[in-house]
Amino acid sequence: MESRSLVNFSGHQYLRQRLVLSILTGKNVRIDKIRSQDKDPGLRDYEVSLLRLLEKVTNGSVIEISVTGTAVLLKPGVVSGGPIIHDCPLSRSIGYFLEPLIMIAPFSKKPFQLTLRGITTDENDLSVDLIRTVTLPHLQLFGISDGLELRIKRRGAPPEGGGEVQFLCPIVKEVKTLNFVDPGKIKRIRGIAHAVRVNPQFSNRMIDASRSVLNRFIPDIYLYSDVYKGDESGKSPGYALSLLAESTTSAIHCSEAVSTPGETPEDIALLATRALLSEIRHGGCVDRKHQSLVLLMMVLGSEDIGQCRMEEPSVRTIQFLRDIKIFFGSVFNITPIDPTDSSNTELLYSCLGTGYVNVNRSLA
Amino acid sequence: METQTHKPHRPAQSGSKAGKTGKGKQKTGFNEKAFAPKSGRRADRQARRNVERDEARLHVPLVNRTPDDEPPPVIIAIVGPPGVGKTTLLKSLVRRYAKQTLSEAKGPITVVAGKKRRLTFIECNSDLNSMIDIGKVADLVLLMIDGSYGFEMETFEFLNILQAHGFPKVIGILTHLDLIKKQATLRATKKLLKRRFWNEIYQGAKLFYLSGVLNGRYPDTEILNLSRFISVMKFRPLIFRNTHPYLLADRIEDLTPREEIRTSKGRCDRTVTLYGYLRGTNLRQNTKVHIPGVGDMDIKTVTKLGDPCPLPDADSEKRRKLSEKKKLLVHAPMSDVGGVMYDKDAVWINVPGNFTRGATDVPHGEGERMVIDLQDARSNIRLFGSSSNPLTIGARHHDRENSYSYDDDDDDDDDDDDDDEEEEVSEADSEFRAGDQVFSEDEQDDQGSGEDDEQPRTGPSNTGRHAVRTIVRPTRGFFSKEKEGGDVAFADSDSELGLSDDEGRDRAGEIMYADDEKEILSDGEEEFDEDSEDEVPAWKSGLAAKASAAFEELNRRRWHKDWVAMIYSSSLSPAQIANSADTTEVKQDEIDDDFFRVNSSGAVNQDDLDMTKEVLSPVALKEWEDEGVLDSLKTLFITGDHDGGVADHETNAHENPEGGDFVDLEARKAQPAPAEFEGIDTGTRALVEGYRPGTYVRIELVSVPCEFIQHFDSRYPIIVGGLLAAEEHMGYLQVRIKRHRWFARTLKTNDPLIFSLGWRRFQSVPIYSLDDHSIRMRMLKYTPEHMHCYASFYGPVALPNTGFCAFNALSGETVAFRVSATGVVLDIGRSTKIVKKLKLTGVPFKIFKNTAFIRDMFTSALEVAKFEGASIRTVSGIRGQVKKALSKPEGAFRATFEDKVLMSDIIFLRAWYSIQPRRFYNPVTSLLLSDKSRWFGMRLTGQIRRDEGLKTPLAVNSTYKPIGRPSRRFNTLKVPKKLQAALPYASKPRLMKPQSKQTYMQKRAVVLEPEEKKTIALLQQIRALRKDQVARRREKQQERKETHRKKVQKDEAKDAEKEKEKKKVYMRAAGMKSKREADIEEGGSRKRRKT
Repeated sequence: MESRSLVNFSGHQYLRQRLVLSILTGKNVRIDKIRSQDKDPGLRDYEVSLLRLLEKVTNGSVIEISVTGTAVLLKPGVVSGGPIIHDCPLSRSIGYFLEPLIMIAPFSKKPFQLTLRGITTDENDLSVDLIRTVTLPHLQLFGISDGLELRIKRRGAPPEGGGEVQFLCPIVKEVKTLNFVDPGKIKRIRGIAHAVRVNPQFSNRMIDASRSVLNRFIPDIYLYSDVYKGDESGKSPGYALSLLAESTTSAIHCSEAVSTPGETPEDIALLATRALLSEIRHGGCVDRKHQSLVLLMMVLGSEDIGQCRMEEPSVRTIQFLRDIKIFFGSVFNITPIDPTDSSNTELLYSCLGTGYVNVNRSLA
Repeated sequence: METQTHKPHRPAQSGSKAGKTGKGKQKTGFNEKAFAPKSGRRADRQARRNVERDEARLHVPLVNRTPDDEPPPVIIAIVGPPGVGKTTLLKSLVRRYAKQTLSEAKGPITVVAGKKRRLTFIECNSDLNSMIDIGKVADLVLLMIDGSYGFEMETFEFLNILQAHGFPKVIGILTHLDLIKKQATLRATKKLLKRRFWNEIYQGAKLFYLSGVLNGRYPDTEILNLSRFISVMKFRPLIFRNTHPYLLADRIEDLTPREEIRTSKGRCDRTVTLYGYLRGTNLRQNTKVHIPGVGDMDIKTVTKLGDPCPLPDADSEKRRKLSEKKKLLVHAPMSDVGGVMYDKDAVWINVPGNFTRGATDVPHGEGERMVIDLQDARSNIRLFGSSSNPLTIGARHHDRENSYSYDDDDDDDDDDDDDDEEEEVSEADSEFRAGDQVFSEDEQDDQGSGEDDEQPRTGPSNTGRHAVRTIVRPTRGFFSKEKEGGDVAFADSDSELGLSDDEGRDRAGEIMYADDEKEILSDGEEEFDEDSEDEVPAWKSGLAAKASAAFEELNRRRWHKDWVAMIYSSSLSPAQIANSADTTEVKQDEIDDDFFRVNSSGAVNQDDLDMTKEVLSPVALKEWEDEGVLDSLKTLFITGDHDGGVADHETNAHENPEGGDFVDLEARKAQPAPAEFEGIDTGTRALVEGYRPGTYVRIELVSVPCEFIQHFDSRYPIIVGGLLAAEEHMGYLQVRIKRHRWFARTLKTNDPLIFSLGWRRFQSVPIYSLDDHSIRMRMLKYTPEHMHCYASFYGPVALPNTGFCAFNALSGETVAFRVSATGVVLDIGRSTKIVKKLKLTGVPFKIFKNTAFIRDMFTSALEVAKFEGASIRTVSGIRGQVKKALSKPEGAFRATFEDKVLMSDIIFLRAWYSIQPRRFYNPVTSLLLSDKSRWFGMRLTGQIRRDEGLKTPLAVNSTYKPIGRPSRRFNTLKVPKKLQAALPYASKPRLMKPQSKQTYMQKRAVVLEPEEKKTIALLQQIRALRKDQVARRREKQQERKETHRKKVQKDEAKDAEKEKEKKKVYMRAAGMKSKREADIEEGGSRKRRKT
């Protein structure tokens, strides 16, 4: 009874989703051969930092890292939540840490009040803007809404960072079953152009460039210029444009481009805009970057059939589906929306929820 | 005149007066005018009360997860003390439904009761463990009460157990009413028992009266009435059962190789299969299960079997009434039905003294038919393939489209497999070979629909086997695959053609759930095999059709990948799947079942980051510079070109001029979710959604303790309860608990207690606590009287809000009420926050003004340092603070107080010491014992001392000694002469000698005057008279009292006589009862009363 099922994995990839699934199911997970062939073997600093953060948000977790750092054993405890402060390393942005925690946070004992410090926007992970405007609305599909908030206190661009966000998440007893098959039509486009420690005109230039492409489609476009000054603007200069398109059924597609040396704000804006258009063309009710989150919440739903229309799974999603099968034993039925139409690549993902109940929630 | 007959009154059947017939008041209930409110205020109050009552009646609606089309049988448990007539009732009810008399009723008995309803009857013995388990699964309880005796402790215990685990429906049944001869007593008894029963359940709970026993059964009319009540009974979903899959096993089978058992002398772990109808929620492949009384198990395989007791199908549905033949269906593998009884490792066939083959007019029992068929070895007999459905008419189930259904050829194949796997098929058996059909012993497990005698047998008839035999020994698996060369070759060619969609998925499914067993046949092949003749090889049949189907599939494949197969059953890396957009097929060798090996794909690419966003490549996005491409996207926007103006209208509704918020979720109306997966085959369905409640399944469990099989007793229910993911783990549970008001003793912290929580029964060691001003959780030594408190213990996690009950002992030897506490789970965690009070004491050894040096509280300066700043107090209430450790006496410290303390004061520091419950968890493994009611867990300390004959250790400090409080002596205050002299006069001590001479008042003489003398004399006389009067009065009173006392004594004697008589009657009844019990115990099945 006490020797709980142990799940084994190899390789450093998909570390975050495996840790999340382990914590949600309570199954022990062992990951070995982490960059064992690399010049610099073992866990990176941000991965260690993530493990520390997970230890902070849980009670009774045991994390064992081998001497060489190439193997990790996680015996998950109970997600406790509450007020937590964590300094993220500058090698990854806050999004890297926030994405897995968003999956765990609704199932904790106390509501999350997580303060993260570090880089708020970079090119690898979701920026805090996208998390606030896209990821959190996705959670609302599952009935996680009251008190769900991400406050951007300070912005911090790479490499020095200096940003700070506060993530507040309520706890739920169980998540609702999703039935989202109508992608609708795009009814509005919103965006946030932010610039820190650079010329404030940069954000306006980005907005203008983006509008030059988008204006043909729809009149309801609001692109906000969000300039942080002084202490709130972090330690390094940088700017970025994040865009999102919302449909009549509240399906959201998003894209983002971050400043790189040698690129003009117009280039960045066009990049983001075109990425948004290709995302819209992919179709579906859920953005590619949020496939994993939505699929996980569908698995955690009540014991009814949930279904969602999405585009083809990304590489991460495919592995995520496999990992879900290992941890939950749940399998998705994936069928083409329209088998007769060869051009339509959209798929219908359906699964029977596991009836996951937040056992950590206290009645006392 | 008297012969005159009046026309009888005919009440109106229709029209306005139809409803008004009957005796006025009784029909309508109340006279409305009589209860009309007299004042407006009263009317208001009444209305408010009604609204409140209605509100209290509302419940959160629960989703009923029981499928409507084919629900599992309703479990009806018959519970009561021994000798009350449970078996008689069970037999009567089975007789009512199945027209069969059971000689021996053991285990669950399933019968068809109606077009949509089946019933599973189970008799519950009076062991507390059985009562707990039955209480968790029963949908309806027939609670039997001996009317001639009254309620017994077990009845109340059972009701309290029910209450803790969600209350199923209860019908009370009073029996032995024929023993009460006097009509008035009978009426009074009924009334009394009914009132008590209503108090216990609810006002108006149904209570049945069964009068006497006729021919070993209860009267048919009474049973008919009872069955009518059962048939209309509606069931409310219970939360726990609505969230867990479970199964009441009606058959058990030991699959362990005989050789292994022989070599280990029966001590090896067993492989066991359990059969039963699934209930609750869907059972998934990898669910862990708990068998109460045995422990946690992993399911090896789940197999869906044909329904052994099917509901009437569409054909018979047309008829209004259930046909008589359907009624005869009874499924009771543990009992002796139709002469066949399934034991854990054998099948017993009982036949009457003699029977003949030719006598077709006499219906044969199943056993007889088996024996006849055995004799008829050369004919095309289907021995066990058709077994276990003794009296079915419909040979085929209506779920024929189910791909698990088999035809003859499959059975042939299967029998071959069985032949292969069953090494110990005896020589005797092989003599019965007919064609290639073999009677192998373990084929008995395949339930299928039987063949009825009345149906003409034409050629090799359908056997109705509804399940695939999945088991092939791992070592043999490879060879058996080889043997079936035809099939395998066929499968290969499939893959070359481009494995068909469905089949590929099938394969996936099979591989997924048949862990280390190899699935030989896939569904597609089976279907084709059906049509084939015996001579034609299986793979040749329907080749053309197959090929054309495959071609079509291939065409479809060009467009769509089979995502399910690629993701779940190929070993392609995710990147390969995502990028190979034009992969048309999944190669056979890539679909392998050892996908679950550690995925090493991650190690290949060393440098890629775990990133959410994809890298934006300006090159790939170049296409958006083209206007045409941009315009092609316009259809996806509401402003774009599309079919009608409907969406435009919608747009306006959705338009948000402020535009600040991106979320408008409430506007979206959710479409109703589909009830089930459509258009997918059975294999994938089992993979995706598991097995639905209502299906008859076989669950194979490995490494089951051998005692479970060795000491198997069909009278004890076997429940397979599915566990949620969280419930597999251990943790600290915080529960709200209340000692049961009928439990005689208080409960003590750290005394072991047996909990019945979720599916489990286990012993743990709780610590009781109470919330202390919301500051701390303070330990309690004992549970409070008449109050809830908290308890924390170590055990398996259960969802918050799960009810439980607790016991001190489960054995039947306890005379008193055994349910010691009930409660509900509040919280689970990995640690607890219970504290207990710790008082550290010390004494001052040097006192300055408000500062004192304290010793004897700590032993080292380090300890002091830990408590610096802590508040301390003297017994007299002077508060202070720990300041700093002193160097000299080790552990001494300086402290300051708000006032000067005395040397005689004791200083104490109140601290809180956190404690954790002991990590003790001991599952009640009662089903593993030979004597199942004699499970003993951890004993209490006192019990151990009693058993071992040890004396309670007596600490010297704990003994009570007489407290001597010597009166405190204060020395006289001595002021030095010098100081006295210097004092001012007012402050000088006044020192005076005691007076030595008598004062005037003391020494004067008193002489009376004559008048005074007279007065005094008169007063004396009056007093004397009065005294005498009082004395006489008292004497008289005494006399009166004496007579009264005598009278009372007489009355008391009379009363005592009456009491004695009463006791005599009672004791006589009790004596009869105990004698009856003793009779039952010694006589086994011998019945107490023969009527």
